[in-house]
Amino acid sequence: MDSNMNVHSITISVEGMTCNSCVRTIEQQIEKVNGVHHIKVSLEEKNATIIYDPELQTPKTLQEAINDMGFDAILHNANPLL
Amino acid sequence: MPKHEFSVDMSCEGCADAVSRVLNRIEGVEFTIDLSNKKVCITSEHSVDVLLATLKKTGKAVSYLGPK
Repeated sequence: MDSNMNVHSITISVEGMTCNSCVRTIEQQIEKVNGVHHIKVSLEEKNATIIYDPELQTPKTLQEAINDMGFDAILHNANPLL
Repeated sequence: MPKHEFSVDMSCEGCADAVSRVLNRIEGVEFTIDLSNKKVCITSEHSVDVLLATLKKTGKAVSYLGPK
């Protein structure tokens, strides 16, 4: 295992989720995306926190992945925290 | 135009909205969503395969019920 594996975390606002089934669907779909280590979706806060490999994904591609599913994903922090 | 009926596993308004968003992204589709019966009826010249692939983007269980 690479000891200095590059991992970024980002929180994306997601509009349009109304129930836990929406939340689960997003989590299941995005978890399958290459380079995504972990995703946590909050229905109350209307956002998704994603831990990902910056070599395989960017905030933009993650946003598009959620948009593609039919939800409105909005990026806030363009500079992701480590 | 051909009319197709699909079964889509939607459980709430949010699910149905997601379905209409992905369908609105492709040209030339008219559709009605019946949330209580979990059915989506699409009028379009697109092939069933294209429509199925579009519906599957939502991540929900989708199946083709047949022409209507």
